[in-house]
Formats: sequence, structure tokens, C-alpha cells
Amino acid sequence: MSYELIALLMFSSMMLMLMTGQRVFGAIGAVAALSAVLLWGTGGSDIPFSSAMKLMKWYPLLTLPMFIFMGYILSESKIADDLYKMFHVWMGPINGGLAIGTIGLMVLVSAMNGLSVAGMAIGATIALPELLRRGYDKRMVTGVVQAGSSLGILVPPSVVLVLYAMIARQPVGQLWLAGVIPGLVMAAMFILYIAIRCRLQPELGPALDKSERRVPLSEKLRLLRAGLLPLAIFAAMMVPFVNGWTSLVESSAIGAMAAFTAAILKGRMTKEVFEVSVRQTLAISCMFMWIILAALGFGAVFDGLGAVRAIENLFTDQLGLNPWVILIVMQLSFLVMGTFLDDTAMLVIVAPLYVPLVHALGFDLIWYGVLYTITTQIAYMTPPFGYNLFLMRAMAPPEISLRDIYGSIAPFVGVMLLALTLVMVFPEIALWLPQYVYAK
Amino acid sequence: QSKIRWRMQTYAGPALAEHVIKPAIDSFNKVAGDDMEIELFFADQLVPTGELFRAMQKGTIDAVQSDDDSMASPTEVTVFGGYFPFASRYSLDIPVLFNQYGLNEIWDAEYSKLGVKHLSAGAWDPCHFATKDPINSLADLKGKRVFTFPTAGRFMSQFGVVPVTLPWEDIEVAVQTGELDGIAWSGITEDYTVGWADVTNYFLTNNVSGAWAGSFFANMDRYNELPDHLKELLKLTMDSSHYYRQWWYWGGEAALRVNGTKMKLTTIPDEEWAQVEAAAWKFWDEIAQESETKAKVVNIFKQYNTEMQKAGRPYRYS
Amino acid sequence: MPRVIRSYVRIVDAVNHRIGRIMMYGIFVMVAILLWSSFSKTFTLPSLWTLEIAQFAMVTYYILGGPYSIQLGSNVRMDLFYGNWTVRRKAQVDAITIFLLIFYLGVLLYGAIDSTTYSLQYGERSSTAWRPYMWPIKIIMCVGFFLMLLQAISEFFKDIAKIKGLEL
Ligand code: NA
Ligand code: NA
Repeated sequence: MSYELIALLMFSSMMLMLMTGQRVFGAIGAVAALSAVLLWGTGGSDIPFSSAMKLMKWYPLLTLPMFIFMGYILSESKIADDLYKMFHVWMGPINGGLAIGTIGLMVLVSAMNGLSVAGMAIGATIALPELLRRGYDKRMVTGVVQAGSSLGILVPPSVVLVLYAMIARQPVGQLWLAGVIPGLVMAAMFILYIAIRCRLQPELGPALDKSERRVPLSEKLRLLRAGLLPLAIFAAMMVPFVNGWTSLVESSAIGAMAAFTAAILKGRMTKEVFEVSVRQTLAISCMFMWIILAALGFGAVFDGLGAVRAIENLFTDQLGLNPWVILIVMQLSFLVMGTFLDDTAMLVIVAPLYVPLVHALGFDLIWYGVLYTITTQIAYMTPPFGYNLFLMRAMAPPEISLRDIYGSIAPFVGVMLLALTLVMVFPEIALWLPQYVYAK
Repeated sequence: QSKIRWRMQTYAGPALAEHVIKPAIDSFNKVAGDDMEIELFFADQLVPTGELFRAMQKGTIDAVQSDDDSMASPTEVTVFGGYFPFASRYSLDIPVLFNQYGLNEIWDAEYSKLGVKHLSAGAWDPCHFATKDPINSLADLKGKRVFTFPTAGRFMSQFGVVPVTLPWEDIEVAVQTGELDGIAWSGITEDYTVGWADVTNYFLTNNVSGAWAGSFFANMDRYNELPDHLKELLKLTMDSSHYYRQWWYWGGEAALRVNGTKMKLTTIPDEEWAQVEAAAWKFWDEIAQESETKAKVVNIFKQYNTEMQKAGRPYRYS
Repeated sequence: MPRVIRSYVRIVDAVNHRIGRIMMYGIFVMVAILLWSSFSKTFTLPSLWTLEIAQFAMVTYYILGGPYSIQLGSNVRMDLFYGNWTVRRKAQVDAITIFLLIFYLGVLLYGAIDSTTYSLQYGERSSTAWRPYMWPIKIIMCVGFFLMLLQAISEFFKDIAKIKGLEL
């Protein structure tokens, strides 16, 4: 069988399997195991297991359960409530101010956890009901929460960037720093969009009533202190890491403990919060790890059967395209695949195919990591398949329909595409900070 | 007859493989034409290094380029692969030991027992420390978390070095994330080639061993199935790979010490470094006591070094 | 449903539930190892064993916790079509495609047993300075894959029951 045919066969049967709705890891793993047994030759049946050993040796993967745990502690214990109040009081008087405050909240939450789950949970349970009660447009605020929480994977710490780092073999520290400015730029662009939109259509985000605006300055200042908590957690984790006192993985454990301790000190660590956080951490970690396990097996079989070569050959030799065209085609294909492929699966299956190609084309892999993450963020949000969409569906109040959720994202996706283009055209947006910090 | 296809996994990542293996395999494939193709895979690409030996024994992978030590071969000679402390001074010592002092026969017997063909041993570069902080004395080694070979690491741990083993491709990142303080895995040529010179600042000129001993291996059945002319071509290929490394490293080490700008050289004074050498002789005797085969290899090392000493300059200067 | 099948589902689910409930506290084991690692690095000599023990803990956590995560329904599915199906329709399709999952788990288990046998036969040790024996973690993996397999079969029976309109 030719390499091209194997590539086509494995990929299409995986898609087909995924369409049946079987668990994603089962769908990917089954295709990997079948191809290994039927096509590899001697000893192929050992490949799926040897991927489990490969996964074990991926040391940075230990950060995954840590950041997930951290996220659940933050959202379940509601220690972000005060933060929300802070933004509420300070931003309320402006048109769209609460939505802008929600983006600010999301930036802070992003700095304390590695996925978009926590941001989504906090946004959907704390911010969303308050905003709706005050007459904000439901589509607007649904979009705000989804877009804002997607910052979780771009602003450090970021699990997606850890996974990317392992696939691309790039330093996690530099990748995280590379995400900072694009993350803030994107947050600023969201804010700008909300401000302009609400200026033009004040009914979308009315300013707070006079009665609600009368908050004494002392109370305002007291609430400002709430902002110190995320900063403290972020610092407990990042300061030892950036100074080289602790390694990346150790820092993630410190971060998890810092969040845990903060919840206890604030008296929010109830039995139920503890139970949910610990159980959900296992559930979500298992989901990720089993998909990664299956995808690593798929990748090894795909590679060993020559399919990777076939794809590289297709892009570079047969199509003979210009590097930039190839890069844009790859980003577009990500977006297309993101409409029907699970996001983690996409990361562990597609990224290993594209990253060597990007490198061969002469692009910087740190920079590409940021492009990649923004693309993933978009894929997280676009229907029909998106992690954030699922979460939103699960967590949103009943008055928000599926239609609202789907309809809410369009302008924000537009903003994100603009940000993606900006980073593509001006790589310094991503690369300046890591180059500055890691200059030898 | 259809084209024979082998999957070969090397211990090296893409940047290093560009020198230490890829040119030879490309030549092999060109010459073998429609008869055979060796598909080359890099470190951990198909199978993680820890599972590599088993994978070859079973036939999941057809051939491997690695040292015995890192792939943890279950043999009596494994400890001597990679960097056995102070066993060699120059890269030419390795082929001489294997071809003229009988190591080939011992290795062949050991691997044949396990269904693996030991094809050919060759030399790589010396083993030096590349670190973020300078090492000027043995005391500076204390507490340094260093990526190194299993045996070299076990040996150096008596001087306070903390050996850490990670997937080869993750080393550069691990130095940056603070998982590692440095690397004791290669000479300066490799430090520059694979990018480690970009993340470390200092290069220690004292070495733990003058040359790495590594080999090509194949699954026994797959090797036996090869027609004679391809076996011969394989031998030529491996020899050309060995030869390439001889001059590439020898020239590279000198040139980068003199002209390299990324790393500062530091040295532990000879009198102090003599403690490490003395510890090595003790280590040799400990290893020799573990089994008859190991004793036999250690004796060959001793005999070889004695004879080189007697031969005088340029073989040995001290 | 036959009694044997009812008991099978009950016992497998109960065992995996129990194991999963224990495993979920593994997060604190990992945290403790990593905190000790940073502590020992800062104040004494770095420990040789923390890195590998942390890896072993992670593997135990997600492999032995796997069956419980299936019970919790946390393994994502692509719900482009699946999401719109009735419960019965979902069960019908799952009852077929689960055999592919079972096949995958079977191959994983086969490889794990093969590797564990090798590990025991040659006394395989990790090629690190700490040099732990590899068979304990490999046996844990074998057990985990086996339990996962049992859980997948239990899910199959539950799907059949759903198709027949029964509760198990
Ligand atoms: Na984050
Ligand atoms: Na999507």
C-alpha cells in the first residue's frame, strides 16, 4: 500500500469513528490499534502500549492535573466572587462596563489556571446572571464569557502551551511568555469592541443605576484588595519558576497548593467544594490523558507506516507552495478540523504533523505556538464542536438558548481572527517578551 | 522480489542525526535502490528509549543505533556502552578495542543470546559538563542536576552530582525550565549542534571519558533474512558513518574550544581531577567483581591502557 | 437480563468505583512528591527519586482512575450527530462501536503484558541513577487496562439493557 493511501485510510477511518459518537479516545485508539495490528508487520501490536511509556516520560504532563485542580478550586470555592464585585463597582458606571469588567476578571482568572474551564465556570455562574439581571444583551454577555475564558490557554500558565511545547520540543517558559502580550492585546481588543459597540447601542450594555453606583470610596478600595489574591497565587507560582528556584512542574504543584490554601483561609473549602474539585480533577485529567495516550499511539503508527512522509511530501514537493501560503492553509485547515474534531485530539494528532513542517519552512516555533494557540481558542468556540461551547451549554442559565450561544460568538471570533493576523504580520508581539527575559 | 523495508530508530534527535547517521543512511538507500530502504526515525519517535531494546528484540523496530547503556540492554556488557569512566582517551581507542582487543566477540556473544545482532561499534565524542554556572572545582559539582548517561551518572554521584534522565529531545527545554542545571552527555561539538550551547554558559574541559562507545544493532531474524550483498552494503554504510564522526568530532572539539563564543571554558586543576580518576579505578574493580564477563572486559581495558602507556607518545602523554 | 450479567455489572462497577474514589486523592500524592522535590532541592541535596516517583504516581492516577472516569461520563464524544440522538439510538450505536474500544483496550493490555513479562524476565530497571525496577509500575498498568476492559464490557451490557428498555 502506498504511503498516501495509508495516510488517507487512517485519517478517514478515524473521522468516521469519531462521527459515531464513541468516546474520542476509543475512536482514535481503535484506529491506531487496528492499523498497528494489520499494517505494521512484526510486533506492531506493541505500539499502543509503548505510547503509554512515552506518555509517562513526558514530565511536563504532570502540570495538567495540577492546573485542572487549581481551576476547579477557584471556580468551586467561589473565591473569585470578590474579584467580580471589584470590577462591578469600579466599571459599572460606564456603558458596557460590566462586560468590560468581566473581561478583566477573565484575564485575572486566566493567570491562575491553565485551561478555559475555570474561567467559563466563573463567568457563567457569577458574571452571567448578574449581567442579565441588569439588562445586558444576552448574546453579548454569552460571547463575552466565552471569549474571555478562552484567554485561559493563552495567558500563562497554559496547558495547551505545555502540550504544544512537548510536541514541538520548545521551552515552556518562553512559550508562556510569548503568550502574555498577545493575550493582553486580545483582551484589549475585546474591551475596545465592547466599548464601541455599547457606545453605539447603549441598550446592549446599560450603565448601572444611580442607586447601585453609590458605593463609598472606602468600600471601593476594600474591594480593590480582592485583586491581590490572584496576584498572590500567580506570584507564588511564577516567581520561583522564573527565578529558577523551582522547575515548571514543581511550580504547578505550588500553584495548586496556593489556590487550595487560599480557599481554606477564606473559609470557602467546604466538604462539597473539596469533593467536587478532587473528583472533577480526576475525571478531566483522565479524559485528557486517555486521549493523549490514544493519540500518541495513533501518531507513532501513522509515522511508522510512512504517512507523515506522505503529507510532508504533499505540501512541500507536490504542491510546491510558498511557505506563507502553506502556513495559512494549515491555520485554515485547523479551523475547519476544529469544527468537527475534538480539540485535544486535534492538538495531539494534527500538531505533530504540522510542527515539523512549520520548522522545515523556516518559521519560528515559539511564534507558531502562539498562532497555534489562538487558532485553538477559535476552534474551542466555533460550532458544532467546541470545548467552550459544550461548557457554555452545560453551565449557562436556562434563558440562554443554544441559538444564543452559537449566535454570540461571531463578533468575538472576528476579533480573534484580527488578533491572529496581527501576530502573524508582527511576530514581535509574541517574541519580544521571551527574547527580552531570556536574553543570555 | 519486493523491496525490503527496515525501520531504524536512532538515539539522536534530528539536529544531531543530520551528522551522526543521516548521511550514511541516505547513501545506503541510494545504493540499495529497489532492493532495500532503511527508514530512519529519531530519538523516541516511534518507541520511547526505555522500550527500544524490547521493541528491536521483538521486531517492532528492525534496527537501532544507540549505546548499550541508554537503551538498557539486558546484557553483561551494557555498563560499558556510552561513557564508562576513563575507559578511553581518544575516539580511535574504541574501534581498536573492538576490532583488535576482542570486544567484538564478547558483544556478539552477549547479544546473540537475546536474539539481537550486534552489528558494529563505533566512537563518538568525549564526555564533558556543560552547565549554567561555572565549575572550577569538584565542590562546584555538588548538587548539580545533570542529564547524563546512567553509568556515568552513577559514577559521578559520589561527587555530589545528581544525575537526571529525561527524553533526549527534552533536555534543552529542561535546562530552561530549571529541571536541569546542566548536561554531561557530549563534547562541545554536540553542545553547539543540538542547541545546548544556547541554554548553558560554561564548558568544563576535563572529561569523564575520551569517547562514547555506541553501536548499530538489528533484530537477528531480520538481519539473517538479508541477502549477502545487502549485509555487505550495511557494513560499508556503518563504517562510513563511523568515519564521518571520527573527523567531525575531532575537528569540531578543537575548533569550538578555540573559536566558539557561546560557552566559556573552565577547568578543574589536574591534581584535583586526579581524585576522580582514582575513583574510576575503584569503580572498574567494583564492576569487575559483578560477573565473569564484566571482569573479562575490565581486564581488556586494563591491558589496552597499559600497552598504550608503554607505546608512549603520541598514544599517551602521561 | 440474566442474573450473571446483572451481577457482573454490579460487581465491576462497584470495584471500579471504589478504586476510582481512592485514586482521586492521588492528586495530593503528586502534589506532596513535587513539593518535597522543590523543598529538597532548595534546602538539601536534590532527591534522586522524585521525578520518577511522580511519573509513576501520574500513571497510576490516570490509568487506575480511568474506569471511574467512564462511570462519571467525563470522556468526551464528538456529538455532531450523537448529541441529537435519542437515548435508545445512542445505546444502539454505542453497543456496536464499543467493540472497537474493547479491541483497543485488548491491544493495550496485550502490549502491557508482553512488556511486563520482559520486565520480569530480565529484571528490567529504569536507566536512571535511581534505577528502580520497572515491573511494579508495569503491573499496575496491566491491572488498570484490565479493569478498563471490564468497565467497557459493563458499559456494553448497560447499553443492551437500555435498548431493551430495562434498568441495570
Ligand atoms: Na492561563
Ligand atoms: Na470548533
